Amino acid sequence: MANLVELNVDGAVGTLILNRPEQRNALSVDLLGALHGRLDRLRERCDGSDGPRVVVVTGAGKSFCAGMDLKEVLGEPGAPLKLLTSLAEATVKLRSLSAVTIAAVNGAAIGGGCGLTTVCDFAITHADSKMGFPEVDLGVCPAVVAPWLVRKIGAGRARAMLLRGGLMSGRDAHAAGLVSECVDSREGLDAAVQSLAERLSAGGPKALAATKRLLNELDGSLDIELARRSAKASADVLAMPEAVAMLRAKMGA
Amino acid sequence: MIQVTKKECTGGSIGRITLDRPEKKNALTPEMIMGIVEGTRQLSADRNVGAIVLEGNGAAFCAGFDLTLCRENSDALDRLLTGLSGAIRVLRRCEVPVVLAAHGAAIAGGCALLGGADVVVTHHEAKIGYPVVRLGISPAVSAPFLRQSVGDGKTRERMLDTSLVSGWEAYRMGLAHECIEDAGKVRDRAVAIAEQLASKPRWGMAATKKWMGEIDGSFGADSARGLDVSLSLVGSAEERERLAALWMA
Repeated sequence: MANLVELNVDGAVGTLILNRPEQRNALSVDLLGALHGRLDRLRERCDGSDGPRVVVVTGAGKSFCAGMDLKEVLGEPGAPLKLLTSLAEATVKLRSLSAVTIAAVNGAAIGGGCGLTTVCDFAITHADSKMGFPEVDLGVCPAVVAPWLVRKIGAGRARAMLLRGGLMSGRDAHAAGLVSECVDSREGLDAAVQSLAERLSAGGPKALAATKRLLNELDGSLDIELARRSAKASADVLAMPEAVAMLRAKMGA
Repeated sequence: MIQVTKKECTGGSIGRITLDRPEKKNALTPEMIMGIVEGTRQLSADRNVGAIVLEGNGAAFCAGFDLTLCRENSDALDRLLTGLSGAIRVLRRCEVPVVLAAHGAAIAGGCALLGGADVVVTHHEAKIGYPVVRLGISPAVSAPFLRQSVGDGKTRERMLDTSLVSGWEAYRMGLAHECIEDAGKVRDRAVAIAEQLASKPRWGMAATKKWMGEIDGSFGADSARGLDVSLSLVGSAEERERLAALWMA
């Protein structure tokens, strides 16, 4: 379980790697548990005097993150709420890091996985990645990611994007404002991320942290109660028999 | 002057609410606004309807309020503003997503209706905006919804400046979500998007739309505050004089 999320720190730059490539880094109870542990550790280090000033979030293998792993919780009373609450609390924890965060979207970032990219201060992807929120196509509700998407691209665009569902290319994600940069191919991603990380880590650590703290206050990012309510809103839909039946059919379970 | 129809499609059907007063560019009367409200309620209560298209017949979606009604007395303007504010909120509250076809022109009250829609389609040359302060009328009724689409800076510009923007500019600022070349295809495109939305499970769409409304304040008291400001000017000397001047020229 310990290696479901890897944490490497190299000087001013830390890297969190979602590490469950055989399941396209889907967010399971265990993976989110590991993420919480890593984020707690990172927070301690970031608050220290020579901690990382930039944290890169990425996925092992070909995908960034395929979204929530619903297989193990579907139909279990209380289990979806627990999983979604864990995700919602992890998003607030990630946002509250004093280090500047960059999502390096190496491949598919879907649903809750795409949501994680919107929690980061920056996101970079490549033209061939797939990003988006297909929750409504599956009869579920992207409530946990909704407030993050609203903060990222505004309420009107977020409303249209979440209700329309589907997936988009990295190029279209850039046009839609989901990512700040889109490079031509996967090969070019690491250099672009490294370049941004170097630029960001050149900033004064106190100035970066203070600015980020203010931005988090202004846009309500650290509203843990809203995050928990969003988990409940999403779990309520997952508890509906018609949603369970549709997901079981789609997952072949 | 409002047509409410249904169209079958894969996986259910869509509802269409059509402004049908093309000789007046679909200028809104209080009765037409009631028709939009009733049509929305009727269609969203129909379990087979998975999405609604709001559109206009003729050359333009909607040129705004029918100001000839407001010429003699201020009651009509009061009813139009109150009705419009209610209609926007009913569109936001309705369970199914609303796709609006903004072709030709969406001006003043017509532009305000965009605020109630979930997805707006327009075209490059459409004319969009709120040129109403020069009539002594405040577009404040739209402000809470416009802010959600375009942010505070652009909201200020669009509410206070009487110039119109093109469909392309409206798309760039977030007031529309799709912008195509051909004005004649906007309504077909809106129908296609609505059919796509109607093919998705209704319960998930309803829950998602409700949640978006909860987090963006669509259901809160703020959404009605703009109406109070708009109403406070109705019947003012400024509005009476400026409206009367429209027919003097």
